Amino acid sequence: MNRERIETGILRIGRMVVLVLFLVWVLFPFYWMIISSMRSLEDIMANPSNLLPDIRQLDFHSYYAVLFEHGFVQYISNSIYVTLVTVILSVILALLGAYAVTRLRFRAKRWMSAGILGIYMFPPIVLVIPLYVLFSRMGLRDSMNILILVYLAQTLPVSLYMLRNYFHSLPVELEYAGLTDGCSRIGVIWRIVIPLSLPALTSVAIYTFMIAWNEFLFAFMFLDTPEKFTLSRGVVQLAGSVHLSKQLVMAASVIVTIPILVLFILLERYLVKGLTAGAVKG
Amino acid sequence: MASLTLKSISKSYGGAEVLSGVDLEVKDGEFCVLLGPSGCGKSTLLNIIAGLVPQDRGSVQCDGESVDHLSPRERDVAVVFQNYALYPHMTVAGNMGFGLRMRGVPKKTIRKRIAETADLLGIEDLLDRKPRELSGGQRQRVAMGRALVRRPKIFLFDEPLSNLDARLRSNVRLELKQLHQQIKGTMIYVTHDQIEAMTLGEKVVVMRQGIVQQVGDPETIYGKPANPFVAAFIGTPQINLYQGRFVYDDGVSFKAEAFSLNLQGLGVSCPDGEGELGIRPEDIVVVKRGQGPLEAHVDMISNIGSEKYVHAFVGREKITFRASKESDFDQGQGITLAPNIKRLHLFCQGKRV
Repeated sequence: MNRERIETGILRIGRMVVLVLFLVWVLFPFYWMIISSMRSLEDIMANPSNLLPDIRQLDFHSYYAVLFEHGFVQYISNSIYVTLVTVILSVILALLGAYAVTRLRFRAKRWMSAGILGIYMFPPIVLVIPLYVLFSRMGLRDSMNILILVYLAQTLPVSLYMLRNYFHSLPVELEYAGLTDGCSRIGVIWRIVIPLSLPALTSVAIYTFMIAWNEFLFAFMFLDTPEKFTLSRGVVQLAGSVHLSKQLVMAASVIVTIPILVLFILLERYLVKGLTAGAVKG
Repeated sequence: MASLTLKSISKSYGGAEVLSGVDLEVKDGEFCVLLGPSGCGKSTLLNIIAGLVPQDRGSVQCDGESVDHLSPRERDVAVVFQNYALYPHMTVAGNMGFGLRMRGVPKKTIRKRIAETADLLGIEDLLDRKPRELSGGQRQRVAMGRALVRRPKIFLFDEPLSNLDARLRSNVRLELKQLHQQIKGTMIYVTHDQIEAMTLGEKVVVMRQGIVQQVGDPETIYGKPANPFVAAFIGTPQINLYQGRFVYDDGVSFKAEAFSLNLQGLGVSCPDGEGELGIRPEDIVVVKRGQGPLEAHVDMISNIGSEKYVHAFVGREKITFRASKESDFDQGQGITLAPNIKRLHLFCQGKRV
C-alpha cells in the first residue's frame, strides 16, 4: 500500500464518520419528536427517556386530539391563509421591484437599491415593540392581515435581493428582442422574464413560505384571539396550557414541520439554483 | 422597407458622451455598415434607432417622418443581436413566430412565413428544437430568421458574426450579402471588423468615440480616407503612417523623422506644415539600390501564403509593404523602396489634403 492509497482510504472513512455524526445530530430531534408524538401519556410518564419504544404501542391518537380537540384545524387553515397570501404578494412585489431596480431608470434608484438591504439589517425584536404600540393605537392588532404586512416587510428585502441578482444575470438583449418583437414592457416581463426566472421565483417563494410559516414572534405579540392563531402560535398556546401533555405538543410540532420538510425536499434544487444564480455567468 | 435619417443624435451616459451629433442618411434598400473600434458608440446608435434607448438630442426619421415618440414595437424594426438573444424557453419555430404572434398575425400566415424563412435559411430541420440544442452557427441563423420572418421596415444587425469561428464567419458573410440582394431590405449593420464592412457595405460609416469620421462607399473609405484614423483603421496590413511636416522650398516635400520624400509637384497646401503621410503597403515597390527615395533594411517577413508582408525599417520608422510570394528577402538586408506618389495619403491637421 502506498501513501496515496492510505490517505484516500482514511479520507473516505473520515468522511463517512463525519456524515454519520452530522446526520445523527440533525435527525435525532426529528426522531425524538415523531416517536414521542406517537406514544401514550402513560408510557411517557413511566419511561420518559425510552429511545426505542414498542412499535405496537405507537398510534396517531395525539394527532387526532391536537387537530380536532385543540383547534389545530383552524390554526392550520390560518397558517395556510397567512403564508399563501404572503408568498403570492411577496413574489409579485419582489418581481416588479427587482425588475425596476435592475432595468428601469428612476430618481434615487441607487438609494432605494441599497435601502432594500438596509431594511433587512433591523432585527425584528427592535421593531416588534414600536409596531405593537403603533398597531394597537391604530386598532389593527389581532388581525391576520397585519401579520401578512409584517411578514412582507420582513421577507421582501431578501426576496428583492435574490431576484435582483438573478435579473442581472439575464441578458438585457433578450428583453430588447422582446420589445422589438412587439411586446410592451409588461408583455416582456410576462412572456420572457417570468418564464426564465421560474427557478429564482420558486426559491423566493420557498424562502418566503418558510419565514411566514415558521414565524413566531410577531404572531405571538399581535394575535390575541385563538380563532386567529397561526400554527406556531397554536403550538405555544398548547405547550403553555395547564394540563401539559408532552405527546400532544410533539404531535403539534410534527404538524408544523411536515409541510416545510416536504416543500423543501421537493423544491430544494430550485432553492440552490436561485440562490447561486448570478454568482457565476452561465 | 424604408429609408432612415438620423439628425444630430447625441447621447451621454453619466458624464461621458458616447454619441455626439451623429448625422446619417440610409436609403431605402441600402446596406449600411457602422464601423468602429469597440466603445465608439455604434451599438448605442443601433439601440437608439430601434427605440430601445432614448437619445438625449437629435431625431430619428423613418421615411422622412420622426419616429422619436414611437415604441420599438411601432417602429417596426428587427434586431439581430451579437449574443443572438434567442428566447431560451421557446422552440426555434416559437422564436421565429413570436414577433408575428405579438402583432396578431393569423396563425396560418405565421406558419407559412416561418416555413418560407426556414427554407430560405436552410433551418427547416431545426424548427422543433430549443436554442440550447443548437450550435453557434445554427443559433445565428435562427436569430436572422427571427428578424427576416417579420419583414420589418429596417433590419438592424449588432455584430451578428462576431461569435462565429473564422471560416463560418466568411461563409455567413457571403450568404448575408446574397440575402440582402434577394430581399432588398434596408439594413444597418454594426461591426468592428473592417473586412465585414468592406465586403458587405454599400455605405460604410466609420465612427470613433461617438463621432462620425467618414461616410462613403468601401472604395472611397479605402482609397480616400478622410483622416489618419480612418486610414489606419481600414486595411490589412495597416497603412504606414508618419508624423512630419510639409516643407516648401524646391516644390513640396514631406519631412519625417527618418526620411524626406519629394512630393513632386503635388499641390499640397498645409499652412503651418504639420501633417501626416500615409502609404498603403501595396503602394510600395522595391527598386534597384539607390534608385528610390527610401533606404530601408528588412526586419521581419510574414508569409501568409498568397503573398508576403515585409516589415522593414527606414531609419527608426517602421514600414510594411506587400511582396509577391516568390520574393525573397533576408533579415537585415538593405533595400531601396519607392512609394507610388500618386497614391499617397496626405493629411494636414488631421484632415485629408
